[in-house]
Amino acid sequence: MDFNLLQLILWLIAGAVSFYFSLGNARVWTSIAVGFFLILIGEVIPRAIPFLPGANIPQVTAMAYIVGTIAILVMSHGFQEYYVFSRTLELEGNKLYVYLSTLAVIVASLVFILINITPDEGILRTIRIVENTNWVFLSLINIDLIRKIYLNVQDSPISKGFIAFIFVFVCIFLWKGSDLYVLVYNLDDVANQQLFPFRYQLSVICSNIGNLLAGLSVGGTFLYLARLLR
Amino acid sequence: MILLPRGNPVKERIDPGKVNLPDALRKLQGGGFTGYLRFDARSGTGIVIFQNGKLISALFEADREQLIAYDAIARLFQESLAGNALLDIYKLSPDLALSIHALLHGEVLYRGQELKLIDIKALLGKLKEDQVSGCLRIYTRERIALIFYRNGSPLGFFHDGSTDIETNADTSMSVARLPGAKIDVLISRGQEGMVLADLMGTADLGALWKKAQERIARERRSREDEASRNQELHDKDRRLKLQAFLRHTAERHLGKIGASLADKAAEKTLPQTGGLTETDLVPYFENLAKGAKLVAGPSAINTMLEEMKKGAKGFLK
Repeated sequence: MDFNLLQLILWLIAGAVSFYFSLGNARVWTSIAVGFFLILIGEVIPRAIPFLPGANIPQVTAMAYIVGTIAILVMSHGFQEYYVFSRTLELEGNKLYVYLSTLAVIVASLVFILINITPDEGILRTIRIVENTNWVFLSLINIDLIRKIYLNVQDSPISKGFIAFIFVFVCIFLWKGSDLYVLVYNLDDVANQQLFPFRYQLSVICSNIGNLLAGLSVGGTFLYLARLLR
Repeated sequence: MILLPRGNPVKERIDPGKVNLPDALRKLQGGGFTGYLRFDARSGTGIVIFQNGKLISALFEADREQLIAYDAIARLFQESLAGNALLDIYKLSPDLALSIHALLHGEVLYRGQELKLIDIKALLGKLKEDQVSGCLRIYTRERIALIFYRNGSPLGFFHDGSTDIETNADTSMSVARLPGAKIDVLISRGQEGMVLADLMGTADLGALWKKAQERIARERRSREDEASRNQELHDKDRRLKLQAFLRHTAERHLGKIGASLADKAAEKTLPQTGGLTETDLVPYFENLAKGAKLVAGPSAINTMLEEMKKGAKGFLK
């Protein structure tokens, strides 16, 4: 079975589960679940380029990376909200506001892309580096934040779900970190790949395994959470 | 307890708290009343004696105190207003009223002697020998009779229902024959023929009444405040116990964040004063359920809330 197809299937499942989860649960889960759902959009578009007409338009590719960036920002915001809740037991806002805000940011990003020059390979590469950088550093921050949340909600029915989230972000860190490494050191360039074959191969393996495990663990975590929150 | 025969009843078993006593006394004064008013209060007994419309004597006797004149009147007003008293009014002859006054303010020589253990002949001989003026009080639980003596010689009898000193000994002596009859020997202090001052002429009964009213109102307020404080303490204690129970239950179902959620919901929704009702708990449970949704599923939350509602009933009784 094609590895990319397997990853795509896992992300499709994870995206569907997380979006469904966002609908049926407390408001604070909306940001987190919507963030994970957006990974699906960010993953599907680049992988669909070979198959879908028009998917190779540079603006569409740029939007895929931007949506990926928005995904980690939205879910980080969600974990921050949960952390604040676990400390203060105060919670504000509503689900619709989260959906609309996220949609507004995506629309604003699209407008930004459309009113600027058509992104070439270099611009797309830069946007991708920005996306991966956000993922790498926010994954580390989220791991620490989730650890703190876990300590605050220890013994509650949902507490183990946060351990699963730590695993999710470790996988994401591996995946996005490897991608970032490849981009920063230009290992996506064939000449460099021949110069540093081991580093390149290791990065690709780490990225693929991280991606696979991330997709698997996101879907699994939300199913586990749904079970815990029955 | 002042033991006196009942005399000829004018009014019995009146609640003096519902009567304006200064006005009532003034009416008795105006009508030239002769007799006595008996106040039976929880803390003691009071006697007010009228002779031809003059209030000649007032006495209030409790276990450890004896008040006379204005002090007694003031106390009787207080006891009446406090709602703890019963008033009986008996008519007497002027001589008998005076004798009763002399008796009440006299000296007790012997008290509560079992009649069957007394050599009554020897006692009477002794009274004659000593030229004693006073009376023998013979009584059981239900009946009382007085035998008045002057200078050692019997003067007459006073028993329940009579208005004057009688010479017929039958009724009075029948008391002596009753089982458990007792005898007191009382000596009067030579007040025969004296003219007593009218206490109503020198006392401002209206002022005494007003003072008693103020005192009773003050005491009532103080009692109400005390009761309110006690109720508040009781409510607070129950509230704390209920909150501890809710906290403990939430902690068992949701972990330590459950305890914090329970405290937070209590702080936000439960009234901090007064007793709690089931209605007061409705917003509490709603608030707790809202927070609990973030750490537990509906079935766990419902189980917790059911347990809380069931247990809370015990604290709300």
